[in-house]
Amino acid sequence: MISVENLTKRFGRVTAVDNLSFEVKAGEIVGFLGPNGAGKTTTMRVLSCFLPATGGKVTIGGYDVFRESIEIRKRTGYLPENVPLYMDMRVIEYLNFRAVLKGLAGRKKRQRVAEVIETCGLAEVKRSVIGRLSKGFKQRVGLADSLVHEPELLILDEPTIGLDPNQIRHIRDLIKGFGRNHTVLLSSHILPEVEMICDRVLIMNKGKIVASGTPGTLVGVLRGNPRVIAEISGAPDKVQASLEKIPGVVKVSFESVGEWNRYTCDCLKDADVKPEIFRVISSNGWLMRVLVAEKRNLEDVFVEVTMEETES
Amino acid sequence: MRNFFAIWRRELAACFLSPIAYVTMVFFLIAANSTFIVGAIKNVGNSVFLVSLLFASIIMWLTVLVSIVSMRLFAEEIRSGTIEMLMTAPVTEAEVVLGKYAGAMTFVLFVIAPAVASIYIFAAMGPGQDIVDSGALTGGCVIIFLIAAFCMSLGLVVSLLTRSQIIAAISCLCLIWLMLFLGNIVSAIPFAPPKLVTFLSLLSHVEDFARGSIDTRPVVLYLSATAFMLFTAVRILESRRWK
Repeated sequence: MISVENLTKRFGRVTAVDNLSFEVKAGEIVGFLGPNGAGKTTTMRVLSCFLPATGGKVTIGGYDVFRESIEIRKRTGYLPENVPLYMDMRVIEYLNFRAVLKGLAGRKKRQRVAEVIETCGLAEVKRSVIGRLSKGFKQRVGLADSLVHEPELLILDEPTIGLDPNQIRHIRDLIKGFGRNHTVLLSSHILPEVEMICDRVLIMNKGKIVASGTPGTLVGVLRGNPRVIAEISGAPDKVQASLEKIPGVVKVSFESVGEWNRYTCDCLKDADVKPEIFRVISSNGWLMRVLVAEKRNLEDVFVEVTMEETES
Repeated sequence: MRNFFAIWRRELAACFLSPIAYVTMVFFLIAANSTFIVGAIKNVGNSVFLVSLLFASIIMWLTVLVSIVSMRLFAEEIRSGTIEMLMTAPVTEAEVVLGKYAGAMTFVLFVIAPAVASIYIFAAMGPGQDIVDSGALTGGCVIIFLIAAFCMSLGLVVSLLTRSQIIAAISCLCLIWLMLFLGNIVSAIPFAPPKLVTFLSLLSHVEDFARGSIDTRPVVLYLSATAFMLFTAVRILESRRWK
């Protein structure tokens, strides 16, 4: 659906996007992550045909963003970052106006506008002036606008920013439902959300993609050792010494939590040391109340790949 | 074409849904007519063509009106970011420019209509002069339309170049006034041919037209200048896509 080859975008001397290449297949929900200023919004603006690229080739559904931008704009729905809307219009007027611009007319237009008002939960405010709506409603008006012409591709720049948890959940379900038969590219700062919605994640930093893959595989390729945490009562030195003898355990550190001591074991990758730890503890007659593998998530991946770039 | 009408309607709605349109209309009427009355009183005893005086005072205030109406056309969209929404919809640059231009022109013509129509009131008030010269009225309307059309296209280009509405309005007003007095400026040059001076002088066009003599040369001048400005605006807007 989207194919980006060596995309570069410079603003004067500042390189916002640097030789970026990636592909998005039809039907995928892809999340764009990255710290502020990583080039996510710029990339999305190029994809939505708003900004021209300095170099490289971008095609969407086989159309070139530079030469055939009208065709692409007919097929994509785009929600910009701060959801700019005409503040003096009413919701329904605005959606009608946008529907006409996007080529809908007559009964089809009325039907689609009614549908997006329904799906985005705008029924109660459809006669209100947009400028007086809360941030969440404005966001939903923007989303309704990007959906109104049933686009094949949806580009959403931080769709859930400024929403309350209920609204976030609603929008998330909406995007997930939409993603079943459409392609979605979204950017977000909220990592658990991306983990939940997206099939694939692209992490950008300083205009480059620093990691890409499913949330699961990304966590898998994390550098550093996986950790197991155990809380055990018993003489600390002895426990630590016997834990360190277990094959697969690299290093053990401990801190005291009242009667119980918390041991953090750095383990080798692919080694499951938990049964062995349990066996050692029980054979020594110590008591154990917690034994867990530390769960690592996308946040760790994000910090790891973006921080190390910044440091180097 | 449908996009053109949609944008036109949206521009008109932006003007008429707020009370600003009606307030502007009233103030424009007061400003233009009081300028006319002051001019008429000052010229008591001289032989002045009153219709051309009325149209000249309307054009004086038209310059201000056009600067203010045109300033928001693009500057506001650029500032608030709605240009991003507009330009990522499947519309061509020409549709956007022409739609906005048509909307603003409709609004301006609507606002100046009462001031032009007040000519009938003045005629009714003048003893024994209750007949309005239809040739003079038509000529005056034509020149007002032409000047408004050109100034608006100039304002539209200026508005595209800045994100600040104030800067857009001031630069547009300066440019229009420069043009208004171009004849006077050129005539100050000692060896300037007088024919050139009259051809460049906007106010002398008004005088001719308000006498009922419709000269095709200014018509061609204003229409082609307007077309050129609109073409420039389309190109500037397009350049955002490849710059």
